[in-house]
Amino acid sequence: MYPKKQSSSMQSNDRQGAAPGADASSSMPFAKRRKSCPFELAKVDGIDYKDTETLKQFITERGKILPRRITGVSYYYQKVLKQAIKRARHMALLPFVADE
Amino acid sequence: MARQQRQALYEGMYIVSATLSDESRKKAFDKITDGITQKGGNIRKTFELGRRKLAYEIDKRREGYYYVLFFEAPTAIISELWKEYHLHEDLIRFMTTRTEKVLESLDFKPLKQQQV
Repeated sequence: MYPKKQSSSMQSNDRQGAAPGADASSSMPFAKRRKSCPFELAKVDGIDYKDTETLKQFITERGKILPRRITGVSYYYQKVLKQAIKRARHMALLPFVADE
Repeated sequence: MARQQRQALYEGMYIVSATLSDESRKKAFDKITDGITQKGGNIRKTFELGRRKLAYEIDKRREGYYYVLFFEAPTAIISELWKEYHLHEDLIRFMTTRTEKVLESLDFKPLKQQQV
């Protein structure tokens, strides 16, 4: 559905201008640990809109889609996930707005 | 006319009104499957998910009876089916999407919990 790019981590992540070869995680105390994408870890092939139990992990109680800065989902899978959640909403499997 | 017919694999999900009796619900679903086969489609697999609570109300209904169909069909008939479904009274929601393969079951594995 979307072209899959895999070299995204190569381009950025150089903001601090660390010396080449320096181990960022050990020398810098406030360096963020990179979260890994749960979909890439599980090596899924596609996200199905019928799989509501999985989709529910990526929405808030109100039914909003969680940003990937919180869930750690990769750029590619966030787009696939978005499509799946929106399909599930259309079929009334997930709410558009959940009331407490 | 020898128009070239492109075939594609589709997945359709249908929500039929849950207030119908078993018999009339079957009739409503047969209308859906017949619509596909009469237009030159070929049904590969049928799943009956059964009665489920809707996440939100649709036309004052809180429950629906879910069906999932996998079928092969000429791409041209999808828009015809779309018009047909809108005239179908007992069909409260439907969606047709392209798929790559026919699923054998609708049980999904949970994502592996990662250790932090």
